[in-house]
Amino acid sequence: MPSQIVSLVVNGEPREFIAAPGMTLLAGLRESLGLTAAKRGCGQGTCGSCTVLVEGQARAACLVAVETVAGLSVSTLEGVATGGELDAVQSSFVDNFATQCGFCTAGMIMVTEALLDRDPDPSEEDVAEAISGNVCRCTGYQPIVIAILDAARRRREERASR
Amino acid sequence: MTYRLAAIDKSSFAAEREDDFTVIGSVVRRSDALGHVTGRTEFFEDVAPPGLAHLKMHRSARHHARIAGVDLTEALAVPGVLKILTHADIPNNLYTPLKLIGVGPDDEPILAVDKVRYLGEPICAVVAVTEAAALEGAARVKVTYEDLPAVFDVEEALAEGAPLVNEYHGQNHFIYEGHHCRRIRFGDVEKAFAEADHVFEWRYQSAPIEQAPVETTGCVVIPQADGRLRIHSDTQACFFTLDNTALILETPFNKLRIVGGTVGGGFGGKVDVVVEPVACVAAMMTDRPVKFVYNRYEEMQVSSPRAAERIYIKDAVMDDGRIIGRKVTLYVDSGAYARHTPYGTTKAAAHLPGPYSIPNVWADCHCVFTNRTPSSAMRGFGVTIGDFALESQMDRIARALDMDPLRLRLLNAYRDGDLKAHRKVAEGTALVEVIQKAAEMSGHELPEAYRRMSSLTREGL
Amino acid sequence: MAIHAVHVPESAEAAVALAGRGAWVMGGGTVVMPLVTSGAATATELVSLSKAGLSGIEVRDGTVRIGAAATLTAVGEHPRLAFLRPALRTIASPTIRNQATLGGNLFVAQPYGDLAVCLLALGATCEIAGPGGRRDAPVAEVLASGVTGGEVVVAVLAPLPEPGTWYYRKAMRRRLNSASIVTVASVTRTAGGVVTSSGIALGGVAPRPVRAVSAERLLLGRPLTPEVLTEAGEAARADTAPADDAYASAWYRTRVLPVHLRRAFLG
Repeated sequence: MPSQIVSLVVNGEPREFIAAPGMTLLAGLRESLGLTAAKRGCGQGTCGSCTVLVEGQARAACLVAVETVAGLSVSTLEGVATGGELDAVQSSFVDNFATQCGFCTAGMIMVTEALLDRDPDPSEEDVAEAISGNVCRCTGYQPIVIAILDAARRRREERASR
Repeated sequence: MTYRLAAIDKSSFAAEREDDFTVIGSVVRRSDALGHVTGRTEFFEDVAPPGLAHLKMHRSARHHARIAGVDLTEALAVPGVLKILTHADIPNNLYTPLKLIGVGPDDEPILAVDKVRYLGEPICAVVAVTEAAALEGAARVKVTYEDLPAVFDVEEALAEGAPLVNEYHGQNHFIYEGHHCRRIRFGDVEKAFAEADHVFEWRYQSAPIEQAPVETTGCVVIPQADGRLRIHSDTQACFFTLDNTALILETPFNKLRIVGGTVGGGFGGKVDVVVEPVACVAAMMTDRPVKFVYNRYEEMQVSSPRAAERIYIKDAVMDDGRIIGRKVTLYVDSGAYARHTPYGTTKAAAHLPGPYSIPNVWADCHCVFTNRTPSSAMRGFGVTIGDFALESQMDRIARALDMDPLRLRLLNAYRDGDLKAHRKVAEGTALVEVIQKAAEMSGHELPEAYRRMSSLTREGL
Repeated sequence: MAIHAVHVPESAEAAVALAGRGAWVMGGGTVVMPLVTSGAATATELVSLSKAGLSGIEVRDGTVRIGAAATLTAVGEHPRLAFLRPALRTIASPTIRNQATLGGNLFVAQPYGDLAVCLLALGATCEIAGPGGRRDAPVAEVLASGVTGGEVVVAVLAPLPEPGTWYYRKAMRRRLNSASIVTVASVTRTAGGVVTSSGIALGGVAPRPVRAVSAERLLLGRPLTPEVLTEAGEAARADTAPADDAYASAWYRTRVLPVHLRRAFLG
């Protein structure tokens, strides 16, 4: 069977690319669309570094065949900052030293975005569960948990001041 | 901001302080954080040159075997396969990790020649236009083996009649300047054992530990118009990689350019120069950019872990807790090849007998070859497992003597000016103060005499 | 093998037709896609159930019918399936649960597949569509011998347990996102202080989820005391065939089975 054209709405923009059968969403984003923030760490859904949002839900992009998400909306880390301004999660990750090598960061931020969209005031336990599929080998997780709780607070304050 | 900025503890060594710190004690934003949180940091695999070819390795299915034959017919017939490299294609088919610091022999083929020495050893490199074709090609390489007996235990490997793992060495241990191991001889431990109130001997061992970086080991090599090769790599050691790759390619150093420094987790696991040389040969032979990156299985199975170690410690101890003799026999499992483990074993020896002043020390530290995955660097390699053994030993002695483990350590801790077993005079030791502070912070009470001890004096000894 | 096509049919019938041609049936892709990516898939075509109209969850007359393509997240969010939430929370991460499906969970290798253990304890029935029409089969049968070529599990029917009769415990290496060492799920009814009926399913202790029939038999007519449950847990060893893996040894699993069976009931 030949390759086909796949259409997605990526970070709010309609995008099309040619996909070989069985291409993963991760390969489509990285290799066809040049959106390389999502990373390949394991190729089997266990490290979380490829996490993106599909219709607002966190997904391991390495486990998604592009054919199954045709026409859907996909959000990646590239679309999080608006107008050059970091969002609350990004700035909290910077300020709380939640990044070290940076390889897990895209996945960590995307699961956080999904978590905070669903639950603006998560407990530490909720945070631990949300990131339980994301492996970080540098930080020991504590700075990331702190950054996510801080990001939640910043978001709530932003909303309240609006 | 919610992190804790701890005040600098100035209570010790006040006379040595100048307090002219400009960075320590202040908050400094990481220079790479902005790239990380926006996804703009460029890791090597984010480089996607047009025409990129993919390299996948056909690896040994045996722990130890003679290669009777390699049949590439089916693999070459896979659509999209461009080239299959064998050992004959590598200009200097031997890794050279320690050559530039004068340590030899080079003992590890880039691609196996007539024998495989561990499970997963690379045999042929399949280069194809797509990753899928490279995978299929690698799966279709047919290797016939004649099995050889394998050895997986350091002491069995050193025993009479053990199978020879690595012919480049000629025996199953690394030779240190004519000696069968790294040795320490200081005082007379046998006399100490005879004089001691107690002799304690215990065994410690560890398994190999994989660094498990989230980004797997790999590189993208791009041939340049001027004939140079540009290597995008996640190596932890850019210049080391450049030098070693040039030696293997038998090319001047200035024919290579490394783009690196952005490493998705290394922890020592990306210090060996393993993927770049073969990817460079593939790029030269196909005149295309080539990517060679481990999958997760390869990262766990064939990238070199922290070495397994086995350590025997025998101590001569007096009733009051003074250790007057320490004898250590330490085995480091290098796996099938040396890589950085001879150096790690030297580090293990250098770390003995731990941070204690012991007047009689004897140590034999063996770097042993077995048919396991070659081991190499990982965070304090050579030291960490030794520390686990030494400090476990200290705790067990304290328990056996019914003594406070911190007091046992304070009694034996080295002081500035002590002559160590390596004939070096200790300076800047600070162990006494660190233990005192740890005791204070954890609410562990020490008697006045122990609180008054200092690493600068011999008070209380 | 390289994949030649991924089909996303819009009906169960179309999925069955494609499965009949030898296409691999794919739920959320959490098991199939790693095989595809690593070149280890032995089929050249995949059929995804994601748009085949099989994601519905309905409750009628005390029985729930869950479409095979319902995600674990969707199962956990259904108000009438709240009793399964503690079990679902022990399976992988929220991200994976957004993808992984009920149907797929029936076909994953142990020590994964804790939802299948729950379904086994509930005495669920699979609705299977095939070239010859539809048929029903006990979940135990599907777990033991799968389905035949060209068949697709389209839904699972399970009786909802009465309040106070559902028990679940999973022992694992970490508190979250960790495979099973021992999983225990049970619907057990008591009256007058003694057990009147009991269905117990175990995960992590055999090549597939198994019923602990020896333990079920032993509990009948007896109270749920630590002593009785320990005895039942020891009896349950007869129903298991544990293996060593990266999470635990067979020896350890056998050793701790009675402990976790007891804790499933008494905490």
